[in-house]
Amino acid sequence: MNTFWGNIFRNRATTTEEEKILDILRKIPLFEDLTKKELSAIERILHKRMYQTNETIFNQGDPGMGMYIIERGAVEIVSEPGKRTLAELHEGEFFGELALLDDSPRSASAVAKNDCTALGFFQPDLFGLIDRNPTLGVKIVVRLARMIGERLKKCNDQLEQTDLVKAQES
Amino acid sequence: MPENHRFRRTIMWIAIVAIAAALLIYAMGEVVRLLIIAALLAYILDPVTTFLESKGLSRTWATVVVFIGIVSALALGLLLMYPVVTREIQSLQTTDSASRTTEIFSKLETSIKERLGFLGLENMNLNEKAQELKGKVGEKLIVFFVTDFVSLVAHLVAIPFMIFFLLKDGREMKKLLISRVPNRYFEFSMNLIYRMDRHLGNYLRGQFLDAFSFGLLAAIALMVLQVKYAVFLGAFAGLANLIPYVGPIAGGLLSAVVTVLDTGDLAKVGYVVLAFALVKLADDAIIQPLTVAKSVEMHPLLVLLVIIIGGQAFGILGMLLSVPVVGFTKIILEEGITAYRKYRFA
Repeated sequence: MNTFWGNIFRNRATTTEEEKILDILRKIPLFEDLTKKELSAIERILHKRMYQTNETIFNQGDPGMGMYIIERGAVEIVSEPGKRTLAELHEGEFFGELALLDDSPRSASAVAKNDCTALGFFQPDLFGLIDRNPTLGVKIVVRLARMIGERLKKCNDQLEQTDLVKAQES
Repeated sequence: MPENHRFRRTIMWIAIVAIAAALLIYAMGEVVRLLIIAALLAYILDPVTTFLESKGLSRTWATVVVFIGIVSALALGLLLMYPVVTREIQSLQTTDSASRTTEIFSKLETSIKERLGFLGLENMNLNEKAQELKGKVGEKLIVFFVTDFVSLVAHLVAIPFMIFFLLKDGREMKKLLISRVPNRYFEFSMNLIYRMDRHLGNYLRGQFLDAFSFGLLAAIALMVLQVKYAVFLGAFAGLANLIPYVGPIAGGLLSAVVTVLDTGDLAKVGYVVLAFALVKLADDAIIQPLTVAKSVEMHPLLVLLVIIIGGQAFGILGMLLSVPVVGFTKIILEEGITAYRKYRFA
């Protein structure tokens, strides 16, 4: 194919790097059970960002734009003020997914523990995906709702346990 | 107050970059003009392409289908309009038309002398002046077609080419642009770019729909009144409606002038003016609220000044784009400052 037609009808064969990203995405609950074609559609709208050690990914209080998936390295979730480390996340883990639904302020800061690469999946791109590929967009939104629902149930269970323990102590 | 100082410095840098960009755009003139036209048309066609994508077509094929649709519609339009256009051109060239024009100008001159003689208007020689103007217009048309024909053809090829790739790869281009932003300003910039994109897209598509509806209503009104060249005048009025204040007046004025030249019937001119007033009322009351997503909320005097400056800098394209450009600069600054305050750029 000459350059002109090749550019219009380019065949998008996946590279090794893209295969690695697809493998990471398969392990994320939000994207589990998606076909390879659907995962490729998600991969195309991810934003790859590189952070240096101790570089801030986002600050507590910033309007939320979307979630990050750690491709390489480690990230600390830090509560401010006081800089208390709430969690340490590694390759294949994700954070900030609630910001896919609204732009309410981030509940904590995210800081790179070492040199890391994160894949950003953001709200505007999700809404664009819903326009272009409603089936896939709805699948992701339903999974997101399920994840939030499960987290809520866990919170309720933990609260009940705490109340039970307090009641027994008193 | 280090934060205030940093904020002021940031605003200063943004202003410097914006002025430099404006000067560069002005210097590059023609290329930028083509790109702007292509980008505007790509914005308007984007929802159609996205709709086709949602039905299962790849972005490339969706873009190809949209292009085939537009080319087919244009070809069909040309085929239908060709006999009408040739007939109208022939009628313009016949001696019947020329002698009727002479008669109309003579009647007009007599009428003006009778009613406004106190102004001392004696030998106006309207007929000679009209012939002189016709000659000058003819000369300009010949010069345009002979010397500017090559650039016209280049534009007719370049613009669809640009539209195709902007439509097909616009998303990737935006992603590439965002990827260059430093991490510190990444989410803030992405937020701003997507909001701007949404506002601009909605505004342009709304304006296009509004212009199309206005042009259609104007053409129908002129056809009902049996005004010659109703379709062309309607199309012109629709395009002119894109320019606030100036456009609707220009559209109505042209139709009134054509009616005078064609029939000499001042009563009919009155009906044409009334028809335009009614179409404008329908546009303001019904069409605009439905189609134009958000007004730019600028003072009318500022709008007029902006149109004049845009016209002087970039001609007709400047007049068309000056109001949305200034309006969106205003939105960008407002949203940018609000968003900037929410983010902590530590």
